[in-house]
Amino acid sequence: MMTRTPEPATEHTFYLNLGPQHPSTHGVLRLFVKLDGEYVMEVDPIIGYGHRGHEKMAESHFYEQFLPNTPRMDYLSGMLFNHAYVAAVEKMAGIKAPPRAEYIRVICAELNRVASHLMWLGAYLMDLGGVTPFFYAFDDRENILDILDRVSGSRLTYNYCRFGGVARDIDDIFIEATRDFVKRLRGRWKDYNNLVTKNVIFIHRTRDVGVIDKDLALRFGCTGPVLRGAGVPYDVRKAEPYSVYGEMDFDIPTGDNGDAFDRYMVRLLEMEQSLRIIEQALDRLPDGPVTTPTPRKVRPPKGDYYFAAETARGALGYYIVSDGSECPYRLKVRVPSYGNLQTLTEILPGTLVADTICILGSIDIVVPEIDR
Amino acid sequence: MSSEDLKRALEKIVEPSSVHARDYERNGCLLEIGAEPGQLPAIARAARDAGFFLEFITAVDFADGPVAVYQFNECETISRTQVKVQLAREESLPSIGSVYDAALWYEREVFDLFGIRFDNHPDLRRLLLPEDADFHPLLKEYGKVHAFRSARDIYDDQDA
Amino acid sequence: MAVEKIAPGPRVHLAVLDEVLNLCRANSLWPMTFGLACCAIEMMATGASRFDLDRFGAAVFRPSPRQSDLMIVAGTISKKMAPTIVTLWEQMPAPKWCMAMGNCAISGGPFEFEGQYAIVPGADLLVPVDVYVPGCPPRPEALIQGFLSLEDKITKGERRNVIRRFKKSAGKNR
Repeated sequence: MMTRTPEPATEHTFYLNLGPQHPSTHGVLRLFVKLDGEYVMEVDPIIGYGHRGHEKMAESHFYEQFLPNTPRMDYLSGMLFNHAYVAAVEKMAGIKAPPRAEYIRVICAELNRVASHLMWLGAYLMDLGGVTPFFYAFDDRENILDILDRVSGSRLTYNYCRFGGVARDIDDIFIEATRDFVKRLRGRWKDYNNLVTKNVIFIHRTRDVGVIDKDLALRFGCTGPVLRGAGVPYDVRKAEPYSVYGEMDFDIPTGDNGDAFDRYMVRLLEMEQSLRIIEQALDRLPDGPVTTPTPRKVRPPKGDYYFAAETARGALGYYIVSDGSECPYRLKVRVPSYGNLQTLTEILPGTLVADTICILGSIDIVVPEIDR
Repeated sequence: MSSEDLKRALEKIVEPSSVHARDYERNGCLLEIGAEPGQLPAIARAARDAGFFLEFITAVDFADGPVAVYQFNECETISRTQVKVQLAREESLPSIGSVYDAALWYEREVFDLFGIRFDNHPDLRRLLLPEDADFHPLLKEYGKVHAFRSARDIYDDQDA
Repeated sequence: MAVEKIAPGPRVHLAVLDEVLNLCRANSLWPMTFGLACCAIEMMATGASRFDLDRFGAAVFRPSPRQSDLMIVAGTISKKMAPTIVTLWEQMPAPKWCMAMGNCAISGGPFEFEGQYAIVPGADLLVPVDVYVPGCPPRPEALIQGFLSLEDKITKGERRNVIRRFKKSAGKNR
C-alpha cells in the first residue's frame, strides 16, 4: 500500500518493501527503503499494521477490564506491563499490596525479563542466519514458561497481578522450580558464549554495525538496552525504584560503542542480573497474604498520574488521567520501542541491506506495543 | 543539569505562575508547566540544553478543547517535567521536531489520533491508521466513551 | 471400458492416487510465516525444540507465499493489514488452506468492543478459513491439534486409515 508517490528512480535506485509480511521484521512492520544497489539510501518505517485501539478501549472499560490488554501490548514482557499497570493504578488509588505479593511480582517480572531476552536472542540469531541458538534459547524459555504457567495459568499473556496483590499464591514447587531454573541457566552461559559471543561470524556481523551513540539515543528518546549499549546507565529500576527493587542489589551493564554487539552483551549480562534479583527475592520472600481487600471497582481520585517501569525493551510509562470514575478518562502508554524504532531513520541510510536486518534485530522492537 | 536548572530556564519563558511543583510520590511528576503554543519551541530548547530527553507527547480531549501534554525527563536525577498546552478546537501547535527528533513521530501520532496539526512538521501524515482514514479516533465524540468532561473538572480538583 | 479380471497385480486407481496425493499434502504442509501479534510467538514456540512441529512435516516455514500452502493467520487483523492478507492469500498457489489461530483471527478476540475502529473481527471475513484454533493465545498443543484436524480435513478423515484401506482394497481383489 503506497503511502506517497516516490520520486522516479534513477538508474541504480529502486524502492523495496521490507514487510509487512517478512520473517525478520518481528511483527508487522513495513520498512519502505530506497536502495542504490545493496545500499540503503532512505528508509521510512511505516507502522500501524498492528493498531488495535488499546487507548480508545481504555476510555470505555473499567480499570479492571483493561487488565487483559496490558500483556497484549508487548507480549514478550507481558508480566512487566501487567505489573506496571497494576502498580500505577494502586498508586493512584492509594492501595498498598502486601510485601509477599510485591516479592512475587518482582520474581515473576524478572523471570519474564529473562524469557524475553532469551526469545530475542533466538530470533536475532535466526535473522542473522544461525538457527541453532533459537532452539537452545527456546528450550530454556520453555522452563520459564512452565514456571509462570503454573502460577498464572498462561504461557504468554499473563494476567496475574491484581489491584492489591496477585491472583494466587505461589507454592513450594514454584520456589524449587525457580531455584533449579536459575542454577540451570547459569550453567548455560558457557554454551551461549561458545555458540554466539565468541562466534567469529557473529562478531563480524555485529561489531561496529548500527552504532547508536549517546547523543543520538537521547535525541530519539531511546531507553533500555539501546541506551545502555551507548554507555548511559539509565534503568528505571534504579532511577525510580518501584515495588521492592529498591531493596535489591544488582548492576546495570552498559556498553562502550553502542553497536549491535554491545546491545547483545548488555542483554546477555542483564539476564544474569535478573537471576541475581530472583535469588535475592526468593531468599527474602516473606510470609503473609498475597492480596489486600480492594473495592470491586477502583475509582482513583481525579487528576493525572504517570508511572514508570522498566521492561525488557526499555522504560515503560503509563500516563493515566482519571476523572474520579471507574473508567480512565485517558490512558496513554509510553512504550520503549517507539523511540528505539525511530532511530532507524537516521542510522540505516548508508548501510547494506543485510545490515539493515541485523540493526533492526539488535534494537529489539515489538511492533504491537508501538502500534497499541 | 537538573530540574532546578530547567525550572529557572522555564520561568524565563512562561509566566512564573504557570510553573507548579507536583508531588512526585503521588503523581510521578516533579514539575508541571502550563504553556501557550508559541512558547513550545523555546521550552523544548531549554529542556534540551538542560540535558533532558523527550519522554512523550500526547493529547487529552476535553469539552473546551484538547490539552497537549509534553513530558521531559532526565537520566541522572528524578526530574520529570510536564508541559501542558490548552488548545482551542482546530488550533495548531508549532512542531518541536527540529529540537527533538523523537517528536516527529509523537506529533504524527497526535495528528493521527486527535487531528491536531503541527506547523513546520516536515512530514505530517498519519502514523497508525490507514492513510485514507477520515476520522480521528481518540476524540471523545468518536466511538463509545465513558465520559466527556472539561479540563477544569479534572485538573482543578487534583492534588497539586 | 470393461475392467478385465486379470491376475492380481498393480492397477491404476485414480481415486487412490487422489488419496495418496492428499496424504502427501497433509503430511508436508508448508506454512507461511505470518505472525501478526501475540499468537506468532506461540507459533514459533510450536516450531521450536519442545513441541517440534517438524515431526508433522510442517516446520518448513516459508517466508514467500508462492512457496507455501498453509496460511496461519496468527494474530489480530487490523484494517490497515487486511488488504495485505487478501493479497498474500491470492498469491498462494492452490491447493492452499488457511488456519485462523487465536481468538483475534476467529472473531476479533478481546479487541472487538463496542465502538472499535481498528480491526477486522475475524479472518473469515477476508479469506476462506479451514480450521479455527481458539485460545488467547492457543497453547502449542492446541495448534498441533489444529494441524492434525487440518490433516484430517485434507485426507477426508482418512489420514491414519488410508494405508489400511489401500491394503484392504488390494486384498479384496486378490
